Amino acid sequence: MGQYLPVVALLIVGVLFGVLSFIASRLLAPRRPSVAKEAPYECGILPSREPPERFPVSFYIVAMLFIMFDIEIIFIYPFAVARQELGAFAFWEMLAFSSVFFLTFVYVIARGALDWGPIARARRLSDAVSSDRTSSSTIRRVGLEGRLDAEQAA
Amino acid sequence: MVRLLALDPVAIGDLLWTPLLIIILKVVAIFAIGLLVTMFMVWFERKAIAGMQNRIGPNKAGPWGLLQTLADGIKLFFKEDLLPDRADRFVFKLAPYLAFVPAFLVWSVIPLGGDFSDGKNGIVTWFGEQTRVQLADPPVGILLVLALSSIAVYGIMLAGWSSGSKYPLLGSVRASAQMVSYEAALGLSIATVLLLAGTLSTSGIVANQDGFTNWHVVSTGVVPFIIFLLAATAELNRPPFDLVEAEQELVGGFNTEYSSIRFGLFFLAEFMNTVTMSGIIVTLFWGGPQGLFDIPIIPGAIEGTIWFIAKVLLFLYVYVWFRATLPRFRYDQLMDLGWKILIPMSLGWFMLMAALRLGRDQDWNQAVVAIVSAAVLIVCAGLISMAMKVSRANREREGATF
Repeated sequence: MGQYLPVVALLIVGVLFGVLSFIASRLLAPRRPSVAKEAPYECGILPSREPPERFPVSFYIVAMLFIMFDIEIIFIYPFAVARQELGAFAFWEMLAFSSVFFLTFVYVIARGALDWGPIARARRLSDAVSSDRTSSSTIRRVGLEGRLDAEQAA
Repeated sequence: MVRLLALDPVAIGDLLWTPLLIIILKVVAIFAIGLLVTMFMVWFERKAIAGMQNRIGPNKAGPWGLLQTLADGIKLFFKEDLLPDRADRFVFKLAPYLAFVPAFLVWSVIPLGGDFSDGKNGIVTWFGEQTRVQLADPPVGILLVLALSSIAVYGIMLAGWSSGSKYPLLGSVRASAQMVSYEAALGLSIATVLLLAGTLSTSGIVANQDGFTNWHVVSTGVVPFIIFLLAATAELNRPPFDLVEAEQELVGGFNTEYSSIRFGLFFLAEFMNTVTMSGIIVTLFWGGPQGLFDIPIIPGAIEGTIWFIAKVLLFLYVYVWFRATLPRFRYDQLMDLGWKILIPMSLGWFMLMAALRLGRDQDWNQAVVAIVSAAVLIVCAGLISMAMKVSRANREREGATF
């Protein structure tokens, strides 16, 4: 275990550094908490809703798929390191496992599990730059319509 | 008999005073180097980006503004430490450690120097004891790095969840989905390197890259390196993959509610991860301390350190360059890039390399093996693109708007 001793020592030093910085900060920093400071950050307005407790299901699917890929990685690493000792048999095993794995992955993609956001609809250029959209047609003349003095003058 | 290639000889056998002293010295040195390098990395990033944006950047604290980070750090000590009233107090306090400590520990397995040329194993003699220019050389090497980067996900995830506030929560959910997605691509691209090196130990991986054509970036065929670079950028939450702290949408992301030194630790962890990840890239793909040519006069072991620093600086510059030039990805683009391109590609490339190696061992015709493997990979790519078309057609029929 001697090889891990320096890692453990560095771990202790790292944690100590963190703890000492907290103590230093506690000694040096002012403590004047107020209701506004401790409220959840909401860009200056009063928070009107509780933080969300439910998420889009896609996040769970991603987490589950990650576990699937982790299993693949767990099989691949020993194979990669001990390839020569294991020989050709291990390669065919890996190929069989990866094929099954890959086909399920293709199925998952085909079912739309990894699609995010709305379907991208490319806006046609002719809609954006038609010739009858000029500054006089798109910019509303602010302050003329509906103004009493303007109507009386007309 | 212990295989010396994968272990640090100083820590084998009974721990006497001299080895213990060397280990303690190394720990202190790595700790100091870690903090100093992170400090200068922050300065370097600000200065380089300032140059790219035609500004001056920090130039008041110390010569060329070198001490700016130190000044900022000291300022943070004097700032009020707030605890939001809806926060889960224990987890809120724990999260900065979970982000910071793993970032520090990655340093321990990176070979920082030593002479690996011509089949030497990079062992140096200090005070009559043989050791390596790296803190520890456990046989699990790269697995330790992956494990630590997984723990860092917990730091970010719990920080956002425990804040009891909207934006940090959204930021951390995004962050964990992004980081686990790219961790898969990261792990699969490392597997190709392990296939060639045949060992998990970082010093073994470096020793396997003797000479430029044996550098893994060349011998694995560039693709795993590019996948690793992209996945590492996403794993670090750096631009163009910094959706975690997309400030236009999420204020500051997972660390919105953090202030004072708690925020400081997250900040430190982020930049330390950037430096250590560059070190990992150099170790895995660019030969670590292996040099391209012999630098005259300077002895071999120091030469290794010079090469290592030069290569790490190159990648640090690349990261800063990314930040200054590339706009941020959209979330669906990020997920598509990770899941539909990088992950299948890294898996396919791994199987291709494994097939080529097997063909070489079994004396098959290499050209036939390559053509058959390429055909299989093209069929697989076709299957994925068909699956994407099916999914798209389904969504358009259902009129998906989410």
